[in-house]
Amino acid sequence: MAGRLDGKVAVILGASNPQSMGAATARRFVAEGAKVVLAARRKDAVAAIAEEVGAVAAACDITREDELAALAKLAVDTFGALDIAVNYAGLEVNGSVIDSSADDWRAACEVHLVGTALFIKQMALAMAQGGSIITASSLTALVQAPGLAAYAATKGGADVLMRVAANELGERGIRVNSIAPGFTQSAMTAGYFAVDAVKNAFLKEIPLGRFSTIEDIASAALWLASDEAFITGQVVDITAGQSLRRTPRADEFV
Amino acid sequence: MSRLAGKRALIVGAAGQGNMGQTIARRFLAEGASVAVAGRRRDVLDAFVADAGGVAVECDFTDKSSIDAMVAQTVETLGGIDIAVNATGWGLLKPFLETSAEELDAMYALQLRGPFQFMQALIPVMRERGGGSIIQISSATATILFHDHDAYVATKAGTDHLVRSVANQFGEYGVRVNSISPGVTETPMTADATAVPGLMEAFVKGYPLGRYGTSEDIAAGCVWLASDECFMTGQNLQVNGGLTLRANPGKADIEASVAAAMARQG
Repeated sequence: MAGRLDGKVAVILGASNPQSMGAATARRFVAEGAKVVLAARRKDAVAAIAEEVGAVAAACDITREDELAALAKLAVDTFGALDIAVNYAGLEVNGSVIDSSADDWRAACEVHLVGTALFIKQMALAMAQGGSIITASSLTALVQAPGLAAYAATKGGADVLMRVAANELGERGIRVNSIAPGFTQSAMTAGYFAVDAVKNAFLKEIPLGRFSTIEDIASAALWLASDEAFITGQVVDITAGQSLRRTPRADEFV
Repeated sequence: MSRLAGKRALIVGAAGQGNMGQTIARRFLAEGASVAVAGRRRDVLDAFVADAGGVAVECDFTDKSSIDAMVAQTVETLGGIDIAVNATGWGLLKPFLETSAEELDAMYALQLRGPFQFMQALIPVMRERGGGSIIQISSATATILFHDHDAYVATKAGTDHLVRSVANQFGEYGVRVNSISPGVTETPMTADATAVPGLMEAFVKGYPLGRYGTSEDIAAGCVWLASDECFMTGQNLQVNGGLTLRANPGKADIEASVAAAMARQG
């Protein structure tokens, strides 16, 4: 069976756990015929996952432009091109506006805004024949709740950045979109999913009646990555309809 | 290609040769779906079925009893409906101040009442079988604007919100409802306009990706929305090369582009 990404070369950043969106996306992309460079901040964390899925492992800190340039170069040097780049690197920052420190804000900005901007820049520079860039947005950027102030705000800012980049990079044949996952069962949310009260509070706000999985996110990434997706500058909402309702408040987790 | 293998799809708005509904139907057939094509003109539907396959079902989308009969006949013929696409539309271009009550009523009947009653007919069928995917063809003009298109854009935008409302209420039964928005597209609906020299050129600069879309682009988006791997509902998907980041041309832009093309032709 012909794969939907036959002949494509992809970089996926943010896969330091086998139960991450990055790992699931790498598995799906490889199954669809793509050559994949799989990266995370710590190479020891990504090496085993890369080996399992048949990808090349790399270390990359999204806040370091030189490391992003090296990551793109690794894909081009290893596989001859770069067609697809997916960024799932994220930093969980909890806290209300009052409770968040300047350091919290700067840390969130550094990863979600500065990092995403440099990621788009360096991947675009390496895409000689056009391509598809995908970044991770968030349910919290679509329907806000108290808490997660710096996280939601910087994810929302990254979506505006994504739209500006899409408007600018279209002439290079590069599409730029984001995926807003819902409350997804992944390594990052394992702590929340361990608490029934949290799960139940979320579940009643999800029209489709189940949590999104890392495989659901990988499917959306696959569609956005494929040449047949004539779409750019969009937030693709994989929240199972939760953005039609709301994000529950922490005081409901009882 | 078998991303819709085993699925049963109803596509209404497919009674125009080479229109968007037919393009979607051809793609769904190629992806392994059983397809019913529906619309007003029996002869066009029969010709499509003879050439591409599927079954033809007559329907006047402005008549509730006709919509109900179309859904019932499709269920009987295909054994159920997993995917339903509404690709009907009336691309009326008429200045706001000149739009008549009759035109408004006709637009409402086709572009808001029809989709409403189509979903009313589909939900019980899909709920019974445990879910399905409903796809409404919307328009970028429901988000951005275009002059002299008021009745069209208002009903398209209304239907987009209906999509959200129905998605919110019937997701628990596994029914996903989304809309997909093309930009300007060369189809039979726009054939008169696209024949004017210079007219389509005026649109291109509004597209970050450097070209306007095709019915095939929309069909590809529909395959994704229709497939079980799409965990999305209540959304309006802009499959138009980034048009909503920019804009459609204004009336003066189009007139200048047409005048320039005419001058080039001598």
